[in-house]
Amino acid sequence: MKRFFEPSRRTWLHRANPAVKLALFVLLFVVTMLTHRIDASFYLACVFLLLLFAASGYPIWKTALLASGFALAFASASLTMILFGKGSEIWWSFGPVAISKESFYRGLHLGFRSIAFGCQGLLFVLTTSSTGLFYALMQRLKLSPKYAYSFMASLRLMPMALEELRIRRDALAVRGSGSGSRAGALLRLPERYALPLLAQSIRRAQRTAAAMEVKRFDAGSRRTYYYSSPVTRSDAAALLLLAGATAAALLLAQALPVFNLGDMRMVP
Amino acid sequence: MENRKVEPLRERRAEARPHKPDGESAERENVQLQLGPLEERVSMPGAAEPDGAGRPTREESEEPAAEAAGLRLKFPGAPDLLFRDLSLKIRRGEKVLLLGPSGCGKSTLLQVLGGIIPRVTEVPLKAERLKVPESAGIVFQDPDTQFCMPYVDEELAFVLENLAVPREEMMPRIEAALLQVGLNLPDPHVPIGSLSQGMKQRLALASALLLEPDTLLLDEPSALLDPEGRRTIWEAVRRVCERRTVIIVEHRIEEVLDWVDRVVLFRDDGSIMADGSAAAIFGRYRAELRQYGIWYPEAWDDAYGRGISGKGLDGAAPEQRITARAVLPAQESGEVSEPLLRLENFRVLRGGKVVCAVESAAVMPGDLIALTGPNGAGKSSLLLGLMGLLPREGECRYGADAPVGRREVRETAAKRAAFVFQNPEFQFVTNRVLDEVAFTLRGEAEAARNAGRRSVLARLGLPRRRTKPGSGAEAGIALRADECLNRFGLGDYADRHPYLLSLGQKRRLSVASAVVSDKPLLLLDEPTFGQDARNAFAMLDLCEELRASGHAVLMITHENEIAERLATQVWRVEGGRLVSAESTGRPRASRVRLAEGGEA
Amino acid sequence: MSTQVSGAASRRRGLTLTDVLVTVVVSLVLGVVYHLWASVSSVAGLLFVQSDELVYGMWFAASTLAFLLIRKPGVALVAEIAAAHLEIAFGSAYGIQLLLYSVVQGLAAELVFAAFRYRKANAFVAGLAGIAAAAASLLADIYYGYVTEYATWLLVYKYSLRAIGSFVIAGYLMYGLAKLLEKAGVTQSLRPVDRKEYDALDG
Repeated sequence: MKRFFEPSRRTWLHRANPAVKLALFVLLFVVTMLTHRIDASFYLACVFLLLLFAASGYPIWKTALLASGFALAFASASLTMILFGKGSEIWWSFGPVAISKESFYRGLHLGFRSIAFGCQGLLFVLTTSSTGLFYALMQRLKLSPKYAYSFMASLRLMPMALEELRIRRDALAVRGSGSGSRAGALLRLPERYALPLLAQSIRRAQRTAAAMEVKRFDAGSRRTYYYSSPVTRSDAAALLLLAGATAAALLLAQALPVFNLGDMRMVP
Repeated sequence: MENRKVEPLRERRAEARPHKPDGESAERENVQLQLGPLEERVSMPGAAEPDGAGRPTREESEEPAAEAAGLRLKFPGAPDLLFRDLSLKIRRGEKVLLLGPSGCGKSTLLQVLGGIIPRVTEVPLKAERLKVPESAGIVFQDPDTQFCMPYVDEELAFVLENLAVPREEMMPRIEAALLQVGLNLPDPHVPIGSLSQGMKQRLALASALLLEPDTLLLDEPSALLDPEGRRTIWEAVRRVCERRTVIIVEHRIEEVLDWVDRVVLFRDDGSIMADGSAAAIFGRYRAELRQYGIWYPEAWDDAYGRGISGKGLDGAAPEQRITARAVLPAQESGEVSEPLLRLENFRVLRGGKVVCAVESAAVMPGDLIALTGPNGAGKSSLLLGLMGLLPREGECRYGADAPVGRREVRETAAKRAAFVFQNPEFQFVTNRVLDEVAFTLRGEAEAARNAGRRSVLARLGLPRRRTKPGSGAEAGIALRADECLNRFGLGDYADRHPYLLSLGQKRRLSVASAVVSDKPLLLLDEPTFGQDARNAFAMLDLCEELRASGHAVLMITHENEIAERLATQVWRVEGGRLVSAESTGRPRASRVRLAEGGEA
Repeated sequence: MSTQVSGAASRRRGLTLTDVLVTVVVSLVLGVVYHLWASVSSVAGLLFVQSDELVYGMWFAASTLAFLLIRKPGVALVAEIAAAHLEIAFGSAYGIQLLLYSVVQGLAAELVFAAFRYRKANAFVAGLAGIAAAAASLLADIYYGYVTEYATWLLVYKYSLRAIGSFVIAGYLMYGLAKLLEKAGVTQSLRPVDRKEYDALDG
């Protein structure tokens, strides 16, 4: 898991301060959220998809693998709207399904937007190390170390939980199936897996917390930091890069509209 | 603890100990009983030590490193106090070993003395005096739950951050600490996950050292390590412990014995039985050490005699073990029986790669096979492969059956072999001890009713179809399950939740629920790992008993003594290959010695 | 030793490191189990129109379970954020919005527990918290997914399913799980110690 999430080269975005970068990406999220025109969302999706491949610092196959999840995100964001959305110009209808021109383009717009969100999110994740992010949040945004270290520790505990999931599956296979109906089994599955995994993980968390406290982890007192988290010129570069990408998308939407439709909401 | 105020409390007489003052108490050395009315107070580091007159412990002018006097402690929900007016004083620079049976409260006491209870973990306690060290470093048992950061340097830096050490001083200190414990990493920015368990424990020691502790508390730091890891962690401890107070809880005492100044021996009920030099304790309390399951150096000799290969069994202390005869007729007349398992050109795969290859090997009834080899050599994969839980190639016969195809392999394996995982909790599927065993029997009954059919759910260990056994069958199942529990010394716990058993009991329960259906082959993944001697021997006795009744046991183990004393064959796996499978010369059938039943 | 009692209690009023870490791993485990379950249930073919809404409540399950286990203010919110954090860290295609969703949903659940002054920890209250979180997700969906532009019947249908699912999963299912953990002796050390346990020391 850890090996997989290691960039092969470092870009400007990697060098930017994670806290600043988080703020930038949240801002970017808000801008994307306030985009209600399909041309804008289309170009945002395109531009950030390009940027994702160019600036994530990961080999193309890895980026593509991670980005394949966007297909599902696109479908889940757009399909329901396309099939069941409100609209006056009906193209096709069958039973409860009514595809209208408005709902169709609104659905596409939502799909593009979800790709833009996805690209932005992935770009942030791939260019930011968790450790770096939490050190920055502690130093720049005064996040309580109690939360920062708990969240960092959880990443270490993740592979253990996955390993235990595998062991539990093998163990259940060895123990055999017991009796019960198939649907009942499906409903019992969460319990069957959750109970032993939770029991293990909770005990592990308690022990880890005790070990941390023994090492004088006291959230109240002054502490120093192993990694500094300076704001540098890379942050300005990241700002320019992201602002430039967004501006380019929005300008392209003005200059070269593909769909040329207005606000996607019926009641803006 | 900011708003702690010392308030005078009602006076209380320290009661007499719950057990009767019999001949034993005369042998008690150095145990300070505090009698008479006392003002209750706690002393913690930094708190001003109120001066009191007429306190019996004042006779020593020197301030102790840690002390508990009149300690009472009770776990929430527990029926009884764990400690009732316990007193113990640790002098500065002393190296003290706390010994006692599992569950007697040694580890809890260590946590009290280390300041974890009640500061971090809330457990109701009170004491007349409680002094914890000014600075304590603690190493715990489990190598996987002591770190919060992904990399070695980050983990050590975490300690320094807590102490507000300036950034530029961190690296030199980190490197020095690693050097002290003998972890020579060219670059400390190494994932902790890539270290061996033994190295992780030394890392835990290094991070304790960064606190510059005056007292080092070690809570079974080597219990979950293989022999090599055990050796290196104790070497490291010895290197760093000079001029420090050291308090150790440990079941395995070989590596500790020759350098501790003092041994404190606890009873089952959490009271102190004896307190003295190692030599004195070992001279006088050998029987207790044995009864308590301490791994003292001659524990194996005392349990299985001095000889090798079963010959010495007669030398085993007869008063402790019942000898019974249960020899298989087939084996009395020599070795003509069919192998329970035969492997030819057998390979286990993981992710398309061969992780364990076996050219030729066989398991006969009455075999006890020690499967040895370094960590990661492929031992566990071999067992998983035998159960059909990993893809495999080549020939593998279970008795006369040579199943082909994933599903058939799995079903045959499940019918012929029982597998006990290292952590028994993962194998429990019910919420009651009795039901665990009954579950196996019900599954067996059901399998007999409807053989076959496969589904996605079955692969995940889920039922495929409802069947209702008759009430007569149910009663029979309950009876058999009960009988089985009694045989495994779990009869008193039938209604308990399996998770509430001790580790030894959990292991026995998972063996019980595996063998209740009479599967001839038992696969065990390190069954004695992390156990005290009493439970380990109880487990091995159980294996002996099964073996004598025609079962075969194949166990992964790092314990050389098992291979040398009990095994009929030793299989050695190295680098993903079974490199040798040798008979030890110990006969397959032997007289059975019934288990004395682990911790009661 | 009432000195120690008061010292311990004052320290434990807020969230301790142990509380936070346990909350985080509860989210983690439920997340892992959820992904396993989602893959199996889709294989098992239990899908009809919008049926995934029925299991949407799994997203709130961590916050109610964490509260049922620890019973302190704040854990529901922390659990939600932790779940989102892990999803994002391991490369989810949904990105930053998971974080913002988790905040509104966690706050909504938190509000319900607060309305009962953090004293009631039963299945019904947990279920209500689930419904509140579902309502918060609707609010977010209005901005994020224009759901008010759905045909009205669908809007009602979709969010009714979500609310029902949340009530059952975050409420009764998690309550059952918490009870099981209680039986297994796991929860004991998570909760503040009862006063009478201290009194028993004098026995």
